[in-house]
Amino acid sequence: MILKIDTAGNVPIYRQIRNQIIYGAATGRLKTRERLPTVRQLAGDIGVNPMTVSKAYELLKSEGVIVMDRRRGAQIKEFHAEENPLDKNFDDALKALISEYRIKGASKEKLTEHTLSIIDSIYGQKEEF
Amino acid sequence: MAALMTVVLWLIFLVTASSSFLYGKHHDNQMLGIFLSKTHAQNPDVRKAAASFQRACFTVAVLSGGCSLLLQIPAVSKFSEFLMILLVMVNFFSNWCLVGSYQKKLVNIKKRNHWTYSRKKDISVDLAVSREKGKSSISSLWVWLFFLLSFAPSAVCFLYSGIRRFYRIALSLTGPLCQLGTVFLYYRLRTQHFPVISESAEINLMYARQKERINSISATLSSLAVLVFWILFSFLMLDAKSGPFILAPLIFLTAALLIISHWQQKKAFLLEESLAGIQPPEDENIPEQQSIWKWGCYDNPRDFHLFVPKRIAGTGWTINIGQPLGKVLYFGIIILVFAGILFLVFAGQKDYEIKVQEANLTMNASFYDTVLKKDQVISVSVVKKIPSGVRTNGYSGIGKCFGHFSLDHYGKCMLYLYKGVDRYIVLQLKEKDPGYIIINDKTEEKTEVLYHTIRQWLSN
Repeated sequence: MILKIDTAGNVPIYRQIRNQIIYGAATGRLKTRERLPTVRQLAGDIGVNPMTVSKAYELLKSEGVIVMDRRRGAQIKEFHAEENPLDKNFDDALKALISEYRIKGASKEKLTEHTLSIIDSIYGQKEEF
Repeated sequence: MAALMTVVLWLIFLVTASSSFLYGKHHDNQMLGIFLSKTHAQNPDVRKAAASFQRACFTVAVLSGGCSLLLQIPAVSKFSEFLMILLVMVNFFSNWCLVGSYQKKLVNIKKRNHWTYSRKKDISVDLAVSREKGKSSISSLWVWLFFLLSFAPSAVCFLYSGIRRFYRIALSLTGPLCQLGTVFLYYRLRTQHFPVISESAEINLMYARQKERINSISATLSSLAVLVFWILFSFLMLDAKSGPFILAPLIFLTAALLIISHWQQKKAFLLEESLAGIQPPEDENIPEQQSIWKWGCYDNPRDFHLFVPKRIAGTGWTINIGQPLGKVLYFGIIILVFAGILFLVFAGQKDYEIKVQEANLTMNASFYDTVLKKDQVISVSVVKKIPSGVRTNGYSGIGKCFGHFSLDHYGKCMLYLYKGVDRYIVLQLKEKDPGYIIINDKTEEKTEVLYHTIRQWLSN
């Protein structure tokens, strides 16, 4: 999987790493138990301080996306379907996002169509965990 | 001596010409630091400019080499050090102007043909490539072995105390220090970032593995070249009579590094060519970037490394002048080089003065003044020949030499000598460092007069 980091953008680099790894895991580009590069290696390749990558990995670990092992390093965690994954956090985050883009002028139809195409791009590549 | 200087100059010209020549080759979507896609690099105008640049590099090298023959003219020999520095400066400046003018040519060709690339500032990293780093390199055992072997001259120096007169332990440790630099270079190249060339992880992995192997082999070969240079140099240093052969290790190292650079470039080019068949070039996808090489120096503020591999990776290190400390180091080195040049010019042009005064005998030479009192001198004599030895700290040009030397039978001495005058006044001193001061004047007659003056001064 190819990470594309925009160094001139507003999104912090650790966030970009975290988002793209989650996207990779969701779409199946990163397989379960697939090992990630070491913090130093990835930091060297992106050209950032190792602390930035470490922060992204810590975040992913706290969110349950990866597991860290002293011997094997960071690897993608095996996901188990939760009973009700669409919890209050999901609702809050989605509400905030949709509201933000409504204010920016996105119509309901356009937003629905666009969101569905993104859902398709994720679910289309990987049907289920 | 003039022949030696000419050989040294030829080596310098060869290195600068090769360096410019290799910079002019298209690699990593760059030619002379100007971003050009693979397809655009094949354009007839670009190819013509590249061929013309290579011819110009060759011409500058030949012309500089021809001018260096001026050193063989006896009338010029008095100014040989100055001429040598001047020729090197002119050569560097010519190469610099050449690179600058051909960079402008390439930029004009780009403008004329409306070749523009995206200005995105994305950094792409293939996680599979990043994870597999260091697994395709050749073993690091070799560079560590070369590092250990580089201590051989120090061990010999340590075991045999007689050698230390010609070859100090501190000097013998500079070899391992340079060798350690090649060890770090090997590790740095092993973990170097390679650009993502395809959406396919397999192609990216294949490219990165082969590039890593090429880089690690060239770093190991460079390490071996430095070791051979060091062993040869140390061996020749132990033999004071080796004379001009002392240049042999330098010639070897220059030739070896040039061959390794050429091999590495060729391999990288062939690798890119082989991948072009699998992955067609996507001109619109290459990012337009500012060259990270300015005035032949690495200038990248985003890279936090102070020392980075040279433009042709595997042949050594350079300083990142994009970092504040890098700037300090870079300009510090330039100031040191200019100070050295000024010293050489100053020392080469200024004659030393020997004054016999009431109480003192004074020798005035650039940075190596000495004042002698009568009671320091045991005896004075004139000899027609002095034994061979080595310079430990001083100046030795074509016309004269002065400073601290170590001579056979005499030990530590201070010399103030005009070369080509076979008459020497030897002052034996009570101290041991220096134990002797050996002087002469511009002619044998003047030396005789000086000898009598000194004798008279001592007897008063």
